[in-house]
Amino acid sequence: METLIGVFEQQLGLEGVWALSAAYSVCIGSLLGFITVYAMFAIWMERKVAAHMQVRMGPMETGAWHGWAQSIADAVKLLFKEDIIPSQSNKVMFWIAPAVVFCGVFAGFIVIPFALGLQIADLNLGIFFLISIASIEVIGVIMAGWASNSKYSLFGAIREAAQVVSYEIPTATALLVPILVVGSFRLDDFNLWQEANGWLIFHSPWMMLAGLVFFISSLAGCKRAPFDLPEAESELVSGFHTEYSGMRFSFFFLEEYASMFVASAVMATLWFGGWTIPFVDMSTWTDPDSFGLSDVAVTSIGIVVLLAKTFFFIFVQMWLRWTLPRLRVDQVMTLGYKYLVPWGFVALVMTAIFKYYGWGWFPN
Amino acid sequence: MGAVRDYFGNIASALTTTAKGMSVTLHHFRNEPPITVQYPFERMNIPDRYRGLHILEQDKCIDCHLCAKACPVDCIEIEAIHHGRTLEWKKFTIDYKKCIFCEFCIPPCPVDCIHMTTEYELATDNVDDMTEDLLSWTGLRPEDQFAIEASEAKKAGKAAPTKAATAAPEGGGDDDDKAAKIAAIKARMAKKS
Repeated sequence: METLIGVFEQQLGLEGVWALSAAYSVCIGSLLGFITVYAMFAIWMERKVAAHMQVRMGPMETGAWHGWAQSIADAVKLLFKEDIIPSQSNKVMFWIAPAVVFCGVFAGFIVIPFALGLQIADLNLGIFFLISIASIEVIGVIMAGWASNSKYSLFGAIREAAQVVSYEIPTATALLVPILVVGSFRLDDFNLWQEANGWLIFHSPWMMLAGLVFFISSLAGCKRAPFDLPEAESELVSGFHTEYSGMRFSFFFLEEYASMFVASAVMATLWFGGWTIPFVDMSTWTDPDSFGLSDVAVTSIGIVVLLAKTFFFIFVQMWLRWTLPRLRVDQVMTLGYKYLVPWGFVALVMTAIFKYYGWGWFPN
Repeated sequence: MGAVRDYFGNIASALTTTAKGMSVTLHHFRNEPPITVQYPFERMNIPDRYRGLHILEQDKCIDCHLCAKACPVDCIEIEAIHHGRTLEWKKFTIDYKKCIFCEFCIPPCPVDCIHMTTEYELATDNVDDMTEDLLSWTGLRPEDQFAIEASEAKKAGKAAPTKAATAAPEGGGDDDDKAAKIAAIKARMAKKS
């Protein structure tokens, strides 16, 4: 972001607020483009993964090769559909709820380091920002559920509120564990630390436990199966977005897949080394002595590595979705409060002890 | 102690059953090819004795109506005019709106001329298309005409006409001379013995 502002000020001669707004537009535009393309790909991937796990084929016709254009066709269809607003709904809230939901996740993207220095905002409280901004999504969902004036929507929204508020505790606790070891809230620090020392997941068994707790609670945060109670097709029609259609509905869809990406990217960054490759020091690659690669090439490699790790976790999320049945409401609460919260704290305390005595598989 | 054992037992069973389930789905994902087919382009194998749409071997059929009589829903309608043994076909229709694909029409056939195929596509946007005509020709073919004229000529004691002479079909043929008929039968019997 700062680099971009500098470029606009020096190269194009823009000043102050103009350079700032130009840089903002470029960042937001590229991020929106990325999320849209990613979401289309992820939806196609989800359908193919689901199909092959059920020994089916999935979309095969749209586009020549394995139905690759199915998501594009669906998006075009959703864009041209009529925007139906229930007459008894609270119109203002109904209008802005999809935007609020999407904004919460969209803001999460700006702190993710895609490669060394390639993040929109290099916040030194990046993880804290991520946890806080992700909660905005819940407000949007509750708005959607309430404004729809439908019992199914309201039930979905209430479930979402209960579930997300409960699972923010284990999420935050589990996120504190790597923070404790690395000693920073800044996301790029985790990448640099892991480039020097090795993946954090192999730091100690308690780090693995924290990773597991984070992954499970991030599933609940993303409303992914087996925690998809807010949608719960078999009980609540479609949950909080029952009354939505067309473009507004597609925003909820986009938000779900975007939040999957954020959760997986955080998982990859904090526990699995982010854009770094194990046992490889990428910072030497720009030297003429080793590979002599340009900065752009190294950055692209970093992006590819992070995307590979992220897509692995997205695949695991899809894999779980087609393996596990949906939990009951009381089971969700039991899992959250009786299992994940205590074990998150155990992982936190034990890691603190390990760090104090310098134990662990690679001492820092 | 029971509650503690339950607690850790729950954790253990949750982890093991999840791992087990994930291994099953992964096995499906990686090792099992899809069992579905791209329907309009390919089809599943259908057993040979599947009861699908009917097919009629019209040159074998003797217009005995046994299939129509066997039909429990009366969906078969047959009309033909007999010229001796030669048949002038009017219609042989099966109304698939009524047909229950019970296969009762197949066994009674004395000449084994009606069969069921493995074809099952009936969908149409026109109700009239649901009634299917099994005939491959209607009326008289040139060879039928020839056969009729040959038998008539035989009855009349003339030589069989050439095919060229029978280009113009003649209507009717019911005006058989009874005496000539009896003579023909007698001649045949005599020939046999």
